[in-house]
Amino acid sequence: MAQVLAAQGKRLPGGETGDSAELAEIGFRSLDFSELALRVEDEVGMELNFEAAGLRAITTVGDVLDLLVELQQS
Amino acid sequence: MSRAATTTAGADNLLIGADGSTRRWRDLPPVVRGDEPTAAAVADSEDALAWVWQHALNRAELLVVGRERLDPGMRAELRADGFAIRGEEEASPTRPRDGESGRLWLLTSGSTGRPKRIGHTLASLSTVAGDLPPRRWLCPYSPGSYAWWQVITLGLSLPGQDLVLLDPARVDGWAQVAAEQEVTAASGTPTFWRQTLMSQSDALAQVPLQQVTLGGEPVDQAILDQLLAVFPTARVSWIYASSEVGASIVVHDGRAGFPEEWLGRVRPGRPVLDVVPAAEGGGEELVITSPHHGTGLSGPVRTGDRVERRAGRILITGRVDTDEINVGGSKVSAAAVREVLQAHPDVAWAQVSARRAPLVGAVVQATVVPRSGAEGGPVLEQHLSSWARDRLPAHGVPRRFLFRTEIPLKESLKSDV
Repeated sequence: MAQVLAAQGKRLPGGETGDSAELAEIGFRSLDFSELALRVEDEVGMELNFEAAGLRAITTVGDVLDLLVELQQS
Repeated sequence: MSRAATTTAGADNLLIGADGSTRRWRDLPPVVRGDEPTAAAVADSEDALAWVWQHALNRAELLVVGRERLDPGMRAELRADGFAIRGEEEASPTRPRDGESGRLWLLTSGSTGRPKRIGHTLASLSTVAGDLPPRRWLCPYSPGSYAWWQVITLGLSLPGQDLVLLDPARVDGWAQVAAEQEVTAASGTPTFWRQTLMSQSDALAQVPLQQVTLGGEPVDQAILDQLLAVFPTARVSWIYASSEVGASIVVHDGRAGFPEEWLGRVRPGRPVLDVVPAAEGGGEELVITSPHHGTGLSGPVRTGDRVERRAGRILITGRVDTDEINVGGSKVSAAAVREVLQAHPDVAWAQVSARRAPLVGAVVQATVVPRSGAEGGPVLEQHLSSWARDRLPAHGVPRRFLFRTEIPLKESLKSDV
């Protein structure tokens, strides 16, 4: 997430508050999420199955990271 | 100058092989054949010239095709359509017919399916008229293609236009051959020139080019500027031509696109250019009414090429049917993104495509070949991302970059963009 944001001149909050940071506040948008998913796909060498994760609210940095971990395990 | 009356006026022009061997048209050996329609399967340009010369003399119906393209399906189809196959595994037509005097057939590139035959004549292919200064032209194209016929008819019909024949499979070292053979004019696709600038720049600078021509793919300002920098005294031209509408646009001012005032202009014997709303994806499409049409085509022909109006110029940017990328409902032209990337000083070549992605359906992905001295990787990726953000809407900015070290070049001298 830090790489995706850095490419746009934005910063991912660190420290204990990092995971609870609101995506809207740090400027992490749907396109950024798409890019992050592709970066993960390229990294792990497989296509992620987003349907397996089901619908849910993704509003914080922690939500994004949890989802990506779950997708890699599914 | 009457084009039809001069189709063998270049009979004394030189035909030079890559090894330096030299002949004249009028010295080419006779090809034994009657006047039946013939499909000549040729190994290379030198092999093809005897057939062209024979046709120029006796006008017998002819199709020239590279042997590698003549698969069993095409052989059967040609024989059923009355052609004798000559040059390899000779075969008679299964349905013989009388030949049509003066008829030449070209095969379209066939990138979207089976090649289609387009009818022409030497006159309709000889689109360069008037007095040209003596030139020695490089012919790097595949035998039988429209671009190949353009160079060949130039050598056949205009005195002083010699040809240096190159095997398209061996374009890697063409600049050295061209320097040795003192080539003064060369025509190629933007991809061909980009690859040459990247991998043969030292040898290229030694070629005494007075005429540099680009065609066959969208021509952007960056490649024109790069060529003008290497050849500041040469005329750098781009041409829009196809087997369907012939050579229709020729621009010599070193700028991408053509002047907007050319639209709708009517001049005797010249194509009329127009634009209409594109059939897909919005924007506008180039329409050409040409005296150089292939047979069976008449009136305005939709070219399938997307155009864009910019600062008084009409720029041809890409294909209407394959150019659009839909990013979460917002559309962007792959050609527009490619143009932005190729204008970056560290980029030699770029290809832009859609990549399936969650949430938004697709994002823009770019494959980039860095210029000599530049290195692909995270640093260049960040520079290109920033460069694109300053020049494109957010959804048009490539979200994934792939780097390769060589520009891919097909035998048509095009890349898959």
